[in-house]
Amino acid sequence: MREAFVAVLLVAGVVLMLLSTLGAVLMPNVFARLHYSGPAALGALLVAVAIVVRESFSLIGDKSLAVGVFLVLSGAVLTHVTARAARVHELGDWRIRREEKIEVEES
Amino acid sequence: MNQWLVAATVLLVALLPCAALCVRGGVLDGLVGLELAGVITTVVLLLIAEGFQRQPFVDLALVFAVLQFGGSLAFARMLERRL
Repeated sequence: MREAFVAVLLVAGVVLMLLSTLGAVLMPNVFARLHYSGPAALGALLVAVAIVVRESFSLIGDKSLAVGVFLVLSGAVLTHVTARAARVHELGDWRIRREEKIEVEES
Repeated sequence: MNQWLVAATVLLVALLPCAALCVRGGVLDGLVGLELAGVITTVVLLLIAEGFQRQPFVDLALVFAVLQFGGSLAFARMLERRL
């Protein structure tokens, strides 16, 4: 039972990472590619959970869970920073422009 | 060869498209490829530590995750300013 659960989590994580790599390569521009680099971290979290299920909360279980959670958190930051860098690269500034017709709430 | 090592081998193949992204795309496409390759390499190190039953080696994955985050951050900030 436990082994089956481990296998399912492991295969799901690896397949998610493979598909996100494929997506990132096939997309036409940076912003579309960024949509696929985020889910790769979720795949890493699934693999980490698979290791925790197999080994319970031992030396390797704790640390692999820490790695998985760190990758998810840092992935969000990296996606944001990359999108910002791409906007600065294209437009010279990251802020929304009037001609883009994006509505924002004034705070 | 157990299931962990098979998974690590499969993920190593996924590094090739990332390398292709770095070589063929623009500068920022390469940055996305670098971030993706960092995540994949971290998971590969994790899987190797589990697959060979060398539990202390999982520290490598932990250290690599942190360094890869800092490196990608530095690249992003640098590309924002210089190019």
